[in-house]
Amino acid sequence: MGERVSTGVEGLDAMVRGGLLPGRPYVFSGPTGSGKTILATHFLLEGLKLGEPCLMVTLDEPPSELKANMGLFGWNLDRLKILDATPDVRAHKRQRSVIDVGTALDVRDMEDVNGLRQSSQIRALEVTVHSVQKMIKQEFAQRLERTTERYKRIVIDSLTALKMFSMQGEDSRILIQSFLRFLSELEATSVIISERLDRSTIETEFFLSRGEIRLHKWLDGNVIRRAISVEKFRGSSFDDKIRPVTIGNAGLVVFSNAQASFRGGPSALRVGESFLESRIIEEVSNLLDAVLRQVDEAHRRQINVKDIEVAVSRAMVHFQRRHYQKALKHALACDSQLKQLLGEAPPPPPPSAPPKPPGVRA
Amino acid sequence: MSGTVKIRTGIAGLDKMLHGGLVAGRPYIVSGPPGAGKTVLSMQFLREGLEGGERCLFVALEEPPNELKVNMRPFRWNLDDLEVLDANSDIRRFEPTPILEISTETEPVKMRAVEERIRKTPDFESHEVTVHSLLQLLKKLFVKRKYHRVVIDSMTALRYFCMREFEETLTTQSFMRFLTEAGVTSLLTLELPEEGDVPAEAFLARGEFRLHKLRDETGIKRFVSIEKYKGSSHEEFVFPFEITNSGVGVHVGATVPPQGL
Repeated sequence: MGERVSTGVEGLDAMVRGGLLPGRPYVFSGPTGSGKTILATHFLLEGLKLGEPCLMVTLDEPPSELKANMGLFGWNLDRLKILDATPDVRAHKRQRSVIDVGTALDVRDMEDVNGLRQSSQIRALEVTVHSVQKMIKQEFAQRLERTTERYKRIVIDSLTALKMFSMQGEDSRILIQSFLRFLSELEATSVIISERLDRSTIETEFFLSRGEIRLHKWLDGNVIRRAISVEKFRGSSFDDKIRPVTIGNAGLVVFSNAQASFRGGPSALRVGESFLESRIIEEVSNLLDAVLRQVDEAHRRQINVKDIEVAVSRAMVHFQRRHYQKALKHALACDSQLKQLLGEAPPPPPPSAPPKPPGVRA
Repeated sequence: MSGTVKIRTGIAGLDKMLHGGLVAGRPYIVSGPPGAGKTVLSMQFLREGLEGGERCLFVALEEPPNELKVNMRPFRWNLDDLEVLDANSDIRRFEPTPILEISTETEPVKMRAVEERIRKTPDFESHEVTVHSLLQLLKKLFVKRKYHRVVIDSMTALRYFCMREFEETLTTQSFMRFLTEAGVTSLLTLELPEEGDVPAEAFLARGEFRLHKLRDETGIKRFVSIEKYKGSSHEEFVFPFEITNSGVGVHVGATVPPQGL
């Protein structure tokens, strides 16, 4: 053991006790704009500094944009190999020939990246997991023909794009499993960038990857705060605290000795995004209180609210299970129904009295 | 509960929570979110068996065995005699290639013989695992030898990668049924989402131990609870646990229920 692969960010290396374990796939996750690509670029930059061959597969941004964005930090990424797998403009006419990117290998040195690749007029490139896999494999093979040194670091930016563009249903799990297996067999340390779209599903890359480094971003008043945490890291101990992060001229900096402060309420302590959650919890519980008071009131006036009571209990079950959105929806429906009933129903005399015929005054 | 034989899990605190251990010969679920400590806990369960001279099998569906070996090194457990079955599917091919069924191809390997590097997908054929082929293989193995403890890591991988969607619930059920009939005490790990509903496997087992992972400003706090344990009394509280150099340790003395559960 002992051998570790530095992430290129000092503070993060300290959090994972020296670096990532070589030859394994890892996930960098976080919301949009939290710094995933920057962190991954640090990882590649470190490799380049050590003279290791590095490969970036870009599915989100065209390489020209990436180059411009990373140029702001003044980094020299010229020796980075970049595989452009951004899909072409989909032609909506029927194509004579749709070719997949796997057959149109386009690996360039970052140095040679200039403008945006133009979609071809007659054929459009389609991106699938398979084609990306094929591209990487081809590139590996070609590299081994030229030199003896294999790629040591690979970044896939991002898997979310791949999932949204080219995978559906049950297949996606198997495709991702196979893709991760493929990355492991390459024996390069790889980083997959992925946004967690839905916290209530188990996404394949998160449980199959050997570690997850999560970036957080939240709004504190009108200031954006950032933090980082290690969620999972197989085969090693790690720092389990959330540490503050800044993104400045020198890139991403992790303060591995500082405490991240989570301002915005006590339940916002868990993670940044739960700040919003705490707000919705507060709202739902206030609403449920109000609804229950109205139900009591209805009982007092002997209005039949059986159906609404059922709906209220459903809302409370959702609330208990932490499905706050659903709870809110049900509670709002109950609230409006109750308001209507209580507003319409005549005070004390029970509703069993026949309604007054319209136009007749009492 | 007199009359039933209980075996130890290898984690002193957990045994206390279970009022003595697990009723032998049944399948149990260890559930929790990624990074909760499921694999470590189940490895401790196997180690306990190995120390008592029992025959133990680890079915790896999530990680290649070479990585597993490296990951367990810091604990300094003697797992040499553990049999590991590599049930990770190869890279899928999109061209038609001969597929090797795991049931005809694979044999468990002793931990001491697990290689340092990952097994490579061969060029002309690939090795595919379906729940049916795995079941067949296990049947064959169980007939040949008597295993005492088996770990399936994980049921989620089995469901996600080795089954078709329409057969999921039914096949899972028959898989668990098979484990019961085989008379082995088995731990099945199960991934939980960070929020939301518990997968169906949890309802089928004889017991479920759930690992919880909570974050606050002081770091990750881990807790274990027994959600269900048929045929035995057990502790109802949620107890804190830690993963240290000696594995999972449950603090049964402390009974502070965590907030947010």
